[in-house]
Amino acid sequence: MTPEQKLDALRADVDVLAAATPETVLSSLPNWDSLAILLVVSHFEHGHQQTVTGAQIRACRSVADLLALLPHKP
Amino acid sequence: MQSSLTHVRLAGLAVTVGSVVRDFQAEGLAAGQDPAQLARLAKAVGLRERRVAAPGVTALDLCADAAARLLDEAAVDVTSLDAIIFVTQTPDHPQPNNASLLHARLGLSKAAAAYDLSLGCSGWVYGLHQAAMLCGAGAARVLVCAGDTLSRLVDPNDPATAPLFGDAGSAMLVEKTGEATSMHFVFGTDGTGASAIIVPAGGARQPKGAAVADCLHMDGAAVYEFALREAPPAIASVIKLAGWTPEAVNHLVLHQANRFVVSSVARKCGFPEDKVPMNLVEQFGNQSSASIPAAMAHACSEVLQGSRRRLVVCGFGVGFSWGAVALEAGPMIVAPTLAFPR
Repeated sequence: MTPEQKLDALRADVDVLAAATPETVLSSLPNWDSLAILLVVSHFEHGHQQTVTGAQIRACRSVADLLALLPHKP
Repeated sequence: MQSSLTHVRLAGLAVTVGSVVRDFQAEGLAAGQDPAQLARLAKAVGLRERRVAAPGVTALDLCADAAARLLDEAAVDVTSLDAIIFVTQTPDHPQPNNASLLHARLGLSKAAAAYDLSLGCSGWVYGLHQAAMLCGAGAARVLVCAGDTLSRLVDPNDPATAPLFGDAGSAMLVEKTGEATSMHFVFGTDGTGASAIIVPAGGARQPKGAAVADCLHMDGAAVYEFALREAPPAIASVIKLAGWTPEAVNHLVLHQANRFVVSSVARKCGFPEDKVPMNLVEQFGNQSSASIPAAMAHACSEVLQGSRRRLVVCGFGVGFSWGAVALEAGPMIVAPTLAFPR
């Protein structure tokens, strides 16, 4: 997947990120809450077969940080 | 731990739910919550309504109703029961245990054993295992009741836990059989996760008193991570232990935490949704130890009454504790799910 495809998939699965860009600061989103974090964990698990923890997601500052958790696969 | 037991069968089950219907959106609006946020939660997690026990009704009452209906429908002489096992974390009293109270209420023989298991969402599998072991050790017939009233333990002002839980009681009849049928079990525990689901006060460590500490606290993200981490490997292990393939399993019955969790675990296990009951929880809420029999009674009732099915069942929750079982069940009695009082 290209970075753009990864972002599109994330936007589709996580409602509060529907209009996000890589630069979007997560804490600036009004509904960046525990449900949103669960949805991101679920997206990584089912969309990328990658297990991440809520703590890893909470440590991210921006959408780009979230995407950086995904391994780079050429 | 893995365990395989033979010559034992599931003869019947019944479930009784609380009689009071709570609507998720209406409750949230009455509590002053944002309508858009409520709609978002309803859609993402699958929260619609739940059934809670009427004032004064306990898990013992709900299980007693289920047990009486099951024994009646099965035409079982109550004095033929060798043991009664009660799985609950909301007993009527710290002492005596619920099993002894139910023993008296149903009129079991004085020769019957009666004991409680303090387990939550994994408890039904542990109760079945205990009953199967007893049948392998001389018992002919064991009644397992699993039920909770967790709706009473939550802080009504906590929007993260208050709308999740429903109340229910179940009864299951386990019998020794001449048939060479097997039940295969896998169990696990991760006590380092104990604080993720906890009622801090009310035991010997911290007596009741501080209102917030008396309530159930749950770290939803930690519980979700736990479920995705531990349930799928346990399910894969128990299928392997039974010598089956996932394709040969007719139904995967999971603890009905909420639709989001059930769907996620099923997906990670690679099971198609039509093999996995998951709509029940939107109607009844998370029924803790009774959610698995409730899902079986709700989604598999007809097929279990009329045919033999391969079931894989997995419960997971407070502890952290989990248990999975692979068994062939049916034809068996499945009493209709009813509310109490009626």
